[in-house]
Amino acid sequence: MINLKVVSPQKVIFEKEVEMAVLPGAEGDFAAMPNHSPFISSLRPGQMAIMSSNKVDESFFVSGGLVMLKEKVCEVLVDQIEPLSDVNSSNYQQSKTYQELEGNETALGTFEQVVNNPPYK
Amino acid sequence: MPNLKELKNRISSVKSTRKITSAMKMVAASKLRRAQELAESSRVYADSLSFILSSLAGNTKNSADLPEILTGRENSKISLLIINSSDRGLCGGFNSNLFRNAKKWISDQQGQGKSVKIMTVGKKASSFYKKTDLDIVASFEDLNSNDRQLQVSDEIKNKIMELFENNEIDEVSILFNKFVSAISQEPTYQSLIPLSNEETSEDESEANIAVFEFEPDKNELLEYLVPRNFLTQIYRSVLESSASEHAARMTSMDNATRNAGDMIDRLTLTYNRTRQAFITKELIEIISGAEAV
Repeated sequence: MINLKVVSPQKVIFEKEVEMAVLPGAEGDFAAMPNHSPFISSLRPGQMAIMSSNKVDESFFVSGGLVMLKEKVCEVLVDQIEPLSDVNSSNYQQSKTYQELEGNETALGTFEQVVNNPPYK
Repeated sequence: MPNLKELKNRISSVKSTRKITSAMKMVAASKLRRAQELAESSRVYADSLSFILSSLAGNTKNSADLPEILTGRENSKISLLIINSSDRGLCGGFNSNLFRNAKKWISDQQGQGKSVKIMTVGKKASSFYKKTDLDIVASFEDLNSNDRQLQVSDEIKNKIMELFENNEIDEVSILFNKFVSAISQEPTYQSLIPLSNEETSEDESEANIAVFEFEPDKNELLEYLVPRNFLTQIYRSVLESSASEHAARMTSMDNATRNAGDMIDRLTLTYNRTRQAFITKELIEIISGAEAV
């Protein structure tokens, strides 16, 4: 199990032990599992999934951020995070505009592209 | 001899003042609790971010490789000071302490041959510095909700990045009242450009143990991290300042309530003495009138 800690500038959103978390890294999705080599990456807007025994337990929409991965800890610093079911095209548009303002032009994609493209099979 | 009616009015007006100050004290106390929680819960993000930044910067041995915005310009001529005041008064020496401190800092900088620009946060600072001949680059007001605080921090960040890129400023410091405890707040400076030393060296030993892989490469990551770090530092100072403001208001309103209480006691004493004096005088008049007959 790996300790997944999701933090926004305002507060700690949640912290729990998970088997595996799939994150939308800036240069491609990656899975955070125990004993991963130390790793720091930025995130592009996309889906984050928490998985156990090969199925998705929860999925979230992340508008971008940073992740720091250590042996037993995965710290995700997000700008915004919502359960995927709460995201609709209007608030997606909002965070997209926000990203553009930030000058972050990494693969934004349309709402449908993000929502219908889960980072796992 | 004081007028009885006047005294009575005076007492009732002091009483209502006391009600107001004690209500303000309660409000400040409850707001303080919230502000403190916010400041504490935002610390996790800030700490992680500065850890990442320091492991990144620590990884780059040659500081010449680091962007100017992190290390500062060599010949810095213009410093920007961001002053975090409150929007409202009645909080004791909160703002005046800050301004006095800033004045010293500014003349220090000017003594070193630098020119100083000011950015104000909160109504008190903007109205105070309007009267001085300092160059105010921007003013931000009405930080009355947490969302607004974040929004303002973001605007400040954008503004300083823009000014730095246009070579209008070379250094940026931020001044805020650091929340030490509910009864003590101290004006504190934090340097944003160049990045203050404690920020880079704090976790250095720890950061060097784990050698991280970076994705995308360091420079791209820095490009993303630097503004993010500004935002977090500014946001943190805004939160600290708001916690301090409520704490300062709480103590000063507590004092005011106590003073009002003392004043009421004194006035009531005078009132009673005056009343008794009147009665005695009337009695003397009656008795001497009766004796005369």
